[in-house]
Amino acid sequence: MEAISHAGSVLGVLAKDGVVLAAEKKVTGKLLDLSGAREGGYGGSGEKIFLLNSNVISGVAGITADANSLVNYARAAAQRHLFVYNEDIPVELLAQRLCDLKQGYTQYGGLRPFGVSLLYAGYDPHYQFQLYQSDPSGNYSGWKATCIGANNGTAQSLLKQEYKEDIGVEEAIGLVLRVMSKTMDSTTLGSEKLEFATMTLDATTKQPKAKIYKPAEIDALLAKHDLAKKDEDAEMRAT
Amino acid sequence: MSIMEYNGGSVIAMVGKDCVAIASDLRLGNQALGIASDFEKIFPMTDRVYLGLPGLATDVTTLREQFRYRLNMYTIKEEREIEPETFAHLVSSTLYERRFGPYFIEPVMAGLQRLPNGGYKPFIAATDLIGCINFAKDFVVAGTASSKLFGVAEGLWEPDLEPEDLFETIAQTLLNAVDRDAYSGWGAVVHVITKDKAIKRVLKGRMD
Amino acid sequence: MDISFALTGKGYVIVAADTTAARSIVKMKTDEDKIKVLSPHLLMAFSGEPGDTLQFAEYVERNIRLYQIRNTYALRPPSAASWIRRSLADSLRSRRPYAVNLLIGGYDTSTSTPHLYWVDYLGTLSPVPFGAHGYGSYFGLSLLDRYHDPEATLEEGLDTLRRCIDEVSKRLVVSPGKYKVKIVDKDGVREIEL
Repeated sequence: MEAISHAGSVLGVLAKDGVVLAAEKKVTGKLLDLSGAREGGYGGSGEKIFLLNSNVISGVAGITADANSLVNYARAAAQRHLFVYNEDIPVELLAQRLCDLKQGYTQYGGLRPFGVSLLYAGYDPHYQFQLYQSDPSGNYSGWKATCIGANNGTAQSLLKQEYKEDIGVEEAIGLVLRVMSKTMDSTTLGSEKLEFATMTLDATTKQPKAKIYKPAEIDALLAKHDLAKKDEDAEMRAT
Repeated sequence: MSIMEYNGGSVIAMVGKDCVAIASDLRLGNQALGIASDFEKIFPMTDRVYLGLPGLATDVTTLREQFRYRLNMYTIKEEREIEPETFAHLVSSTLYERRFGPYFIEPVMAGLQRLPNGGYKPFIAATDLIGCINFAKDFVVAGTASSKLFGVAEGLWEPDLEPEDLFETIAQTLLNAVDRDAYSGWGAVVHVITKDKAIKRVLKGRMD
Repeated sequence: MDISFALTGKGYVIVAADTTAARSIVKMKTDEDKIKVLSPHLLMAFSGEPGDTLQFAEYVERNIRLYQIRNTYALRPPSAASWIRRSLADSLRSRRPYAVNLLIGGYDTSTSTPHLYWVDYLGTLSPVPFGAHGYGSYFGLSLLDRYHDPEATLEEGLDTLRRCIDEVSKRLVVSPGKYKVKIVDKDGVREIEL
């Protein structure tokens, strides 16, 4: 719990035609080797946002090593469901699978629990778009908009003020970025501090489409919403 | 009656110039009785690797689901997509696991192998029902019409066909071979794979 | 000796099975129900080795019900059919396989579409517009090829089914007398008299 309250925050907003996730990266710096993130078979090789299955993305907050292990478990659980039922795993069922595992470590002695909270953003034909949150104890709940990690109280009260029913995915992206810019420690947003992803429906195939934004796309998105980091050097030179 | 001929069906794969093609019929039967004319036996494993599974229909579905599972787990662990040659060995070892109670399937694979210089090399292979791999340079066949497919392919295939010519060659080979086989036919499907895209065409065939 | 038919139409699936339970050459019973209702929108006609049929059908029925209790919603028809197929395929390579053939008809409430699957004891599964098992398939399938229409109304669908049943009565040496007919559509499952 302690680790999570210091972890980079992850924010999720449920819209009527999609779900939006954003996460604050803590491990940054120009010396960090990001070459692994450029290529990758399953997408989401960042630090905070992962693709669990073709219809579910997740954002994690807490001990990174534990989170990686949980992500692996979730991906395997989703594949097992696909194998047995020949369908993408329903979002809530995937959340339940992880929570069953997490709960186990609170009950049996000798081992420490997973120090990770997760947000799950996904789509299934039963309940369409969904957003869930789970904590280290194995509790989970569904949300219209929520936040985990550092400053989650501030973010949640901001979301409560600004969230509107029947919000569209484009508005939701704006809302997420605005709230994110206010809750993050740093004054300016940029792709080196932010991860961003959406879950929508493909217009032609009607299948869920996960999109984890690349750094360049995040900067473009921030510029579009007027939240980009000002290039101070450029301003200095201009004057 | 052989188990391999219980449901019927055939698959063929061919190499072209910087492209490969794989095609199958669409019949699902119960011996001589036709059940469905839309039973596909070829499945995309990645954008560049296709797998054809002629043989006992229950094992077509079982193996298709099995390979999808194993491939997805591979992609998760390796954080990259599988190469055709690696996949051929995955197929082989999956089948050999059941050495003494085999799946009644003779898989055919077609794909484009990525080269260290960034280019792509055509790759086709087939295995028997316990996973003995046959790497071929020209074409591979399997299924109830395999003997007829061999004959027609031997006559029609030539090296370095362009994608459109390869499509015509494989389509004509398959359609003419299955006309001489009572257990294959009822339409066909052809996949042509090039480095930029994979094209799927569904062909009409004789319905007798 | 069991005979079963199923066909889809505009927003519905009709599943029919004979009601005879026979032992050797003797009819023991003429009101046997060979169509299980697996969930509010899912039907399964089963035929094959007596004993295996009911045992397997109840195994499936209870597992589908368990999924519904655990998750509040039932499996959708494609997923249920895939799970049932896997059960049969696994059973095939066990010490004593179930010899059961199935027709699984369902209505998917999330996409508002009818689904029908033809499944045999080997675990062969194929989505079909119409299907049949037993000796009925040799008479019924050719009639269904000629008369089936996926856009037909319920009354037209039942007429096509009557043609199949009448043909079996006319041509088959040991034709069963009565059939049970069940329908699944957006309102769920119901049984009708032909």
